[in-house]
Amino acid sequence: MGRLKMSSSKRVGGLKGVLHEVLSYKSAVIGVAILLFLIVLSVYTMVTIPLPEAIQAWRSSEAWSRNPRNAQPEWVEIFYGKKLPRTIIVPLKDADATKVLLEDGRLAASWTVYFNYEYDDFPSEIVMFFNSSYSEKPAVEFYWIRPDGEEVFLKKHVLRRPDDRLYLSNDLSLELRLEGLFENKVGGKPSFMVTVEKGLFAEYSLDPRVLKGRYGIRFETTLEKNDVLNAEVVIYGSVYGLAGTDHLRRPLLIGLLWGTPIAMSFGLTSAILTTVLSLIIGTISGWYGGKIDLVIQRIVEINAVLPFLPILIMLTTFYRIDLLIILLSVVVLSIFSLGIKGTRILVMQIKSYPYIEAAQAYGASNMRLILFYVIPKILPPVVPGMISSVPGFVFLEAGLSYLGLGDPFLPTWGKIINDAQTNGAFYKGMYYWVLEPAFMLILTSIAFALIGMALEKIVNPKLKEL
Amino acid sequence: MNSDTRLLELEDLRKWFEIRRGFLSSRVNYVKAVDGVTFSLEEGKAVSLVGESGSGKTTLGKTILRLYEPNGGRILFQGKDITHTKVKDLKWYRRMASLVQQDPFGAFASHFTVFRALEEPLLIHNTVKSREERAERVFKALEEVRLTPVEDFAYKYPHMLSGGQLQRVAIARAIILEPRLIVADEPVSMLDASVRIEILTLLRRLQERLRLGVIYITHDLATTRFFSESALIMYAGHVMEKASTREVLRNPLHPYTKALLIATPDPNPQNRSRFKEVPPGEPPALVDPPKNCRFSPRCPRAFDKCFKEEPPEFEAAPGHWVKCWLYERS
Ligand SMILES: Nc1ncnc2c1ncn2[C@@H]1O[C@H](COP(=O)(O)OP(=O)(O)OP(=O)(O)O)[C@@H](O)[C@H]1O
Ligand SMILES: [Mg+2]
Repeated sequence: MGRLKMSSSKRVGGLKGVLHEVLSYKSAVIGVAILLFLIVLSVYTMVTIPLPEAIQAWRSSEAWSRNPRNAQPEWVEIFYGKKLPRTIIVPLKDADATKVLLEDGRLAASWTVYFNYEYDDFPSEIVMFFNSSYSEKPAVEFYWIRPDGEEVFLKKHVLRRPDDRLYLSNDLSLELRLEGLFENKVGGKPSFMVTVEKGLFAEYSLDPRVLKGRYGIRFETTLEKNDVLNAEVVIYGSVYGLAGTDHLRRPLLIGLLWGTPIAMSFGLTSAILTTVLSLIIGTISGWYGGKIDLVIQRIVEINAVLPFLPILIMLTTFYRIDLLIILLSVVVLSIFSLGIKGTRILVMQIKSYPYIEAAQAYGASNMRLILFYVIPKILPPVVPGMISSVPGFVFLEAGLSYLGLGDPFLPTWGKIINDAQTNGAFYKGMYYWVLEPAFMLILTSIAFALIGMALEKIVNPKLKEL
Repeated sequence: MNSDTRLLELEDLRKWFEIRRGFLSSRVNYVKAVDGVTFSLEEGKAVSLVGESGSGKTTLGKTILRLYEPNGGRILFQGKDITHTKVKDLKWYRRMASLVQQDPFGAFASHFTVFRALEEPLLIHNTVKSREERAERVFKALEEVRLTPVEDFAYKYPHMLSGGQLQRVAIARAIILEPRLIVADEPVSMLDASVRIEILTLLRRLQERLRLGVIYITHDLATTRFFSESALIMYAGHVMEKASTREVLRNPLHPYTKALLIATPDPNPQNRSRFKEVPPGEPPALVDPPKNCRFSPRCPRAFDKCFKEEPPEFEAAPGHWVKCWLYERS
């Protein structure tokens, strides 16, 4: 008569004990530290940038008009070894204007504002934003005052709308005029192309060098009595914040930050749901046997040969895609995993243990047996696998977003990579655009992988030797 | 016998296990593990169930506890027919009849403390509402089985206890719902020889004090003398001989019982080796066995009739029944 000798596995004393044991592995300490960091980051993000706001901002282009386009993060300076320009906003307030009453009752108004430019590189773009009210479209003249005092006439512009914008960088005639001026001063053709930015900020020499110092801008115009004219001159830098900006001037930081709670909750929820539901299905299969078992086993086998990704792609193209639907599809497609076979065998084995029979003899119901006698036995061994499966789901979500099948509203890491790809980030040398979300993805997976591995060693001590 | 004191009555009880040969085969064979068992047990009395390995003792015990549904015959408990009662309607019976298993190490879920293991039956039957009362009952049960001081044992996990201690906990679990019947399936065969008598004595004392009916399943004919009033000798799913324990030991009638007794000569039960198959040959396969005396292939006194016909039970002496053609009264 063969008896199953039950392994009297060592009991770990509760959650605290597990945590203590996990932290005895150095790698796990790193994993837990990263995880804590990501959690803190998620909480911080959710508190400081509420999701509706984040979504709103992420989708609007207006909110970011004062940001530079495709700017690198500020810390890239370390690699360049020079001070890269930040964005400077020079305001011209109506109240600061010197106004002189003319004979015809109109006002001659003029402003001069100064700003310092101390960077080692040229700005990326210059735009004037107007904010005015008028009865007749005013004509404004702009003058540029270089640090050496030289004054250059820039342009005469008749406002087209009260909130008109003037893209100086795109102004070909201005560019040509500045080029001519430059050649005059230097007495030859400079070695670089004189763009508007360079024409305004370069030293008069054959090589492109920034002339540092105090610059001024002067506006001159004639206004009706009650007219108001405000403006902002935005001198866009080439770096922005901690993470830089994308092609729509959006700060990548918002996407990266919001990507964290989204990725973590997506990964964890799918991992937990998938694991627990698979466990329950496997348990039912093993415990009840018979027809239920037969049906479940066939579903598992069919599911194993079904191509996961194409089905998911099909689902997400046919239905409205949002994160919840993606999550549910992923879970539904993953719960009938082959792992069910293992659970089933384990449950069948446990079912034959004497203590189950003893419990049946004192009247324990099937429900009670499954919940209190079987699940506590089979749950601990699957926890490491569950933790280790989180990165897979995080990558899956990113992958779907990358394929353009993700939630269209949420800023996620996958979506950032997708944007980078469609805008030729690598081709244009904007590595940060891809590397930042990739770094976050890798960080997340490392955290879960390290913790999962440590848990695995605890649950399955044979691995300790590895 | 006064029928008021009858705890358990079995009438021609059968438990056959279905086995299918091959995946698609529709031919069903039966392992006739228990094949027509009749006996009755009075309140507060113990009966020994003795037989070789594979004779169907465990199957009979589990069928009595309705862990199996019988294929035939009847089970009456305190006069109530529970033969085919649905599992969900058996809850009251689960309180009245309990089980002590052979393997104390496997009898407990490793993630339950002793306290929790003993509390489980109380929780399931909801007999005691408050936590304090439950704790009281648990501690009382531990005292009953002499695991004192109870606090030292209540919060231990099964792997921290010895086999003997665990078997005491198993007995505590079996009495905690105040049952009327305990099926003890070889309760000491996996224990160290030094603690066997202790455990059996404990069980006997509890049985007498609490007026429990006990079905004591064993290989060891010698221990039956001290622990039971009557004995049932089982062979290959049949009861070969039944009488008071004293009568069976002093005056065995069936050739099989005689062979068993020769195998256990030492009067001191502590020195007794476990029963060894002394009659030559093997017990018959129980898959669709032929209709004859199942012991006939090994019986030294078998004659023609034994190989052809299954004997009924003959009352050879008052209260002494033998399933053997030798005792047919002509
Ligand atoms: N669930 C089952 N399915 C099929 N056959 C079974 C089953 N349980 C027991 N049997 C068979 O029934 C017969 C009796 O088994 P049982 O366990 O009752 O014997 P036993 O007298 O308790 O033996 P032991 O002394 O070894 O415990 C054996 O031939 C066994 O193989
Ligand atoms: Mg047995």
